Amino acid sequence: MSILNVLFCGVGGQGILTSSRILALAAMHAGLDVKMSEVHGMAQRGGNVDTHVRIGESVPSSLIAKETAHYLVAFEKLEALRNIDFLRPDGLAIVCPLEIPPLALSLKRNHSYLPHIDDILKRTAPRLEWVDAEAIARQMGDRRLVNVILLGALARHLDISTEHWKQAIRDRFSPAAQAACLDAFEKGATHDHMCTPA
Amino acid sequence: MKALLLGNAAVARGAWEASVAMGCGYPGTPSTEILEHLGRYKDVLVQWAPNEKVAYEVAMGVSLSGHRALVTMKHVGLNVAADPFFSSSYMGVNGGLVVACADDPGMHSSQDEQDNRHFARAARVLMVEPADAAEARWMTAAAFSLSERFDTPVLLRLTTRVCHQTALVELGDPPTADAANAAGHGYRKNIAKNVLLPGHARQRRLVVEERMAAATAFSNESDLWNPVHRGTSSVGVVTSGVAFGYVREVLPDASVLKIGLSYPIPIARIRSFAATVERLYVMEELDPFLEDAIRAAGIPVEGSSLRPFCGELNLTLVEAAFRKASEHGCTNASLDAESVATPLEASPDAATPGASPDAATRGASADAATRGASPEAASPAASPLGGTEVPPRPPTLCPGCGHRGMFSLFREMKLRVMGDIGCYTLGALKPLAAMDACLCMGASIGMAHGLTRFASPEDSSRTVAVIGDSTFFHSGIPSLLDMIVHGSNATVVILDNRWTAMTGAQPNPGTGLDVNGKPAPRFDIPGVCRALGVRRVREIDPYQLEECRQALEEELAAPEVSVIVSYKPCLLGTPRPAIAPAVTIDLDACDRCGACIRVGCMALHEHDGYPTVDSALCTGCQICLQVCEPHAISVNGFTGQTSSSRTSTEVPT
Ligand code: SF4
Ligand code: SF4
Repeated sequence: MSILNVLFCGVGGQGILTSSRILALAAMHAGLDVKMSEVHGMAQRGGNVDTHVRIGESVPSSLIAKETAHYLVAFEKLEALRNIDFLRPDGLAIVCPLEIPPLALSLKRNHSYLPHIDDILKRTAPRLEWVDAEAIARQMGDRRLVNVILLGALARHLDISTEHWKQAIRDRFSPAAQAACLDAFEKGATHDHMCTPA
Repeated sequence: MKALLLGNAAVARGAWEASVAMGCGYPGTPSTEILEHLGRYKDVLVQWAPNEKVAYEVAMGVSLSGHRALVTMKHVGLNVAADPFFSSSYMGVNGGLVVACADDPGMHSSQDEQDNRHFARAARVLMVEPADAAEARWMTAAAFSLSERFDTPVLLRLTTRVCHQTALVELGDPPTADAANAAGHGYRKNIAKNVLLPGHARQRRLVVEERMAAATAFSNESDLWNPVHRGTSSVGVVTSGVAFGYVREVLPDASVLKIGLSYPIPIARIRSFAATVERLYVMEELDPFLEDAIRAAGIPVEGSSLRPFCGELNLTLVEAAFRKASEHGCTNASLDAESVATPLEASPDAATPGASPDAATRGASADAATRGASPEAASPAASPLGGTEVPPRPPTLCPGCGHRGMFSLFREMKLRVMGDIGCYTLGALKPLAAMDACLCMGASIGMAHGLTRFASPEDSSRTVAVIGDSTFFHSGIPSLLDMIVHGSNATVVILDNRWTAMTGAQPNPGTGLDVNGKPAPRFDIPGVCRALGVRRVREIDPYQLEECRQALEEELAAPEVSVIVSYKPCLLGTPRPAIAPAVTIDLDACDRCGACIRVGCMALHEHDGYPTVDSALCTGCQICLQVCEPHAISVNGFTGQTSSSRTSTEVPT
């Protein structure tokens, strides 16, 4: 039973659900079985969000076990770290080097963003790819494109044809938004990933 | 044809395929999206009821009319609807009635973890349990036929991981006009069946028993509902719901009896399955519901001793359970530690479909397989973080949420706050931490009433009940009546944001819109409170902290029931409320007291010991501005310094 596990994580409102749905649709178009687990409800009010996507010939269950994710697609650095133990020992973390501080409780320094997080990530991720999707999206003039850019970065590691990805993107977005999304996906798939965060 | 569907959307699809005439319910995670999706089918009438009991009674009326009805709620909602639910078992149905009820193992968004399978047994109704989204579709559709065949409501027991799973679902045919007509067979008057006077109910009690006997025979025979997956090993597992998927992955060789119709429990079927295997296990989430029945029938079985009782199951826990079974004297070869087939095992050559050859050949080291296979590997000690603590990121009130104003006042005024269920329950979390109790929907008012009866006058005058608009309609109104009738002097704060916000902004009786966004009569909260007999009713704007403080002080001091309605529309409502310009902070004026940070807004961060504003998140509500004593926070030059009550001309909106 061979199943590909991809875990998406970040902060509520970053478009994580959309990314995972597009991956699931692309897998469906490629003729594969897919199950994913989403988060709704209380967890969405600025809390951390993760979705699990599992793809294979036949997928019985929808939650990824610790240390079995082939890919971790993190929209935020702290969330990458929170979920890093889901990665297999040969897994790849694709991380957008964005810092969204969690709710501060006081002005004391101990609640500030985790210092040295880049080093910790480098140390703990088996393999790490920084993809500054935020910068690319800003260049393209729409920060909401971050999710499709990260998908592009994931896509070049997967054996799903570009046609299936494009079909999935067209399924998910209105005709008006499709061109920008396809462009952003392409940018994510062809960018030079950084070895260190900007 | 297959489609990628959310489990809840699959329930809606199944109901539609079965020609359901109406769906009603009360929003509650994880069940909410069922009705939202059902509402997209034009030919189905969909309504949000003020509470689950009302929803259930409406659905019973639809059933009596001879049409099929779906009623939806979360697990605790069935507690509210328990009264009609139990009696409807005696009355039975005319048109099919399916009760979609979603449990929340692990309490992702709930105050308790009750296992609602017990409800089916207690009320003696049939229960079906899908294991995934695909089953959710066909089981929902088929449950309507079961309901009519056995003349009973059918409990469709869902859990978070089924409701919020997205998966490929094989679609059934859309309903044809003929099928829809056949499903609606018209009202039939039947007093002996439908008027539950004791004399009638005693007769119906016997009918219920006959029905359950017939349903048991059906459940025992049904290959469709309770299929056996014959494996090559001699281990047998009885399982239901999401546990089925975990069992299939962890023990692909085991024989599995999957219970889809889980009440009445098909004991005879389980007994004959047990006879075909050397060792029998049961794997189910939460309570040992099946297990207790299997044991009571004298069939040797193991299960709950191997797994945790609390929380959700997952692959790691199920694998650990079977590993424990193999260590604890199970001699069966197929449970030897090595042969537990696990998804944790790396199999680089069985190229993962979808993964590039490059990804597949990398594979995992032998070390990885063993490390991954041991449940301890997931414990913090062995985690690759090696002691680094990742700061938590709990959910918080949205920037600009009106609740923030009231809760920062509650904290500052050191009030005793009897809370309730909604977004504002987040006011219990740090840094607001301004709630003393939260029990269930609508409890705040009754609890404040009881608490103030036995508190000292000083404590009593520092106690408020806090309740949201939707929660007030749900079950707060009778409690307010109780306060009035019994001469309470408590103070009730109704946080009116016009929407049922926590579950994603569904309309409620105070919204003035129906589920499709069409205008509907709007329930006026202050007017209703006055009509009930509350003499002290006042309306405030929670962005105006001084006014709010004054209102609270005056009403707390008043020797009678008073109601303060704090009105500010939810930022997720439709249309979206307008956003004001973001505030700025003058760091030279800031004395680093941290008062602004303590209003608990995501738009305010700590940076090098100073507060900073994320202008993309700030909605310009100016709550932080008003708590800043040195007036370091401003918007367009306004710091609140000259006057505490701003006029609308000063604040562009
Ligand atoms: S969703 Fe609405 S009610 Fe809930 S926290 Fe946000 S603004 Fe407040
Ligand atoms: S930063 Fe201040 S003004 Fe802006 S949303 Fe938060 S509390 Fe309101």
